[in-house]
Amino acid sequence: MGLPDMALPPAPSKEARLTYTDGTSRTVYATDLEVPFPEGRLIVSRTDLAGIITHANDAFVEMSGYAREDLIGAPHHILRHPDMPKIAFKGLWDDVAAGKKWHGYVKNLRKDGAYYWVYATAVPNIRNGVIVGYTSVRRKPSRTRINELIPVYAQWLADEKAAS
Amino acid sequence: MTLNFLIAPDFAPERFAGWHMLNTTLQRRSGIHLHLLTPAGAHEQAELLSVGKADLVYANPFDATDMIRTQGYIPFARPAKRYDEMVIATGAESGLSSVEDLKAGCRIALTENKDVKLIGLRLLEPADLTEATIRWVPVDTYQAAARLAIKGEVEAAFFLADAYASLTRMSRSQLRVLVESAISDISHVVLAHPRVAAELPGIAKALLGIGQQPGDSDVLDALGLPSGFEPMNQEEAEFMIDLMDTLLD
Repeated sequence: MGLPDMALPPAPSKEARLTYTDGTSRTVYATDLEVPFPEGRLIVSRTDLAGIITHANDAFVEMSGYAREDLIGAPHHILRHPDMPKIAFKGLWDDVAAGKKWHGYVKNLRKDGAYYWVYATAVPNIRNGVIVGYTSVRRKPSRTRINELIPVYAQWLADEKAAS
Repeated sequence: MTLNFLIAPDFAPERFAGWHMLNTTLQRRSGIHLHLLTPAGAHEQAELLSVGKADLVYANPFDATDMIRTQGYIPFARPAKRYDEMVIATGAESGLSSVEDLKAGCRIALTENKDVKLIGLRLLEPADLTEATIRWVPVDTYQAAARLAIKGEVEAAFFLADAYASLTRMSRSQLRVLVESAISDISHVVLAHPRVAAELPGIAKALLGIGQQPGDSDVLDALGLPSGFEPMNQEEAEFMIDLMDTLLD
């Protein structure tokens, strides 16, 4: 079963219909409000092999805007922002499933429609030689790098929309 | 039978007596003779480990990664409610007020503590600083790092958070914290070599029980670990190692 549609936030927002890699889709609302990354902290989560969240630290819960019980058991794409092109995640699942580390700059969507930028790293959890899940750690990103990537991501997103 | 108990060399000098008090208490309660090894630095610790001298280790998380994953050490405890955090501070007169005020070519004083450097580098990423764009000024002690920052001979200094808190009030008044980590997932780890697996339950019980008897608080206060130790299983250690892995680059 897919995620329910987002609630319409009180702030002005853009509506988008997102379709995820598991075939489900939902309506999301994105506002122009940015929430700054909390100083000195890391956002940490773990998922199972299917990308379902199994652990979320306090920073993850606070920044997402969701209650912990809403996050545990939900797919990690609950944070997917409509401004993020699919290609920005290219290699993420391929890399971690192959036992490699993945890095990327990501704009995440909060429950209230606001957003926050992160520098994300994902690693496979390898136990006795077997991948049993994934850990993702997000840290405060370079603003210079984000400003470079905003037009790149916008172009990629436009290309994806034109191709679909 | 005597087991060697190696203590990572990153504790503050005033905690030295505390480790001996802990060792004595552990011996009495476990009935196992323990010989304390307190290497003066990372190099001496590496030598002791390479010749297989350590049966029990109070390891910093960076070293624990290799010891658990490649040498088969068994994690069984960690300090309770005590995480390894770090502070980046500048001189109070530097005019700098945030990490983003640090620019390429800035001078940063640091000790040889690898965990502190690793976490510090990650906290400097928002300033577009990398290991190669910083002029590192190695120092032997956190006090020396503080002096250089106060005198303006470096733009910033890296500290283990505990060590920063242990600086004199006068020193801290002449410094300004640019950022303090609040990761809450990375801590020191108590490990046992697999060859002492048979003795481990007795030692673990003794260590985890410290804090429950009269006088135990003296030992824990002397260690600077007032909440004592809590169990840490293999998966909890593996989780911490995965997290550290994400911070390596």
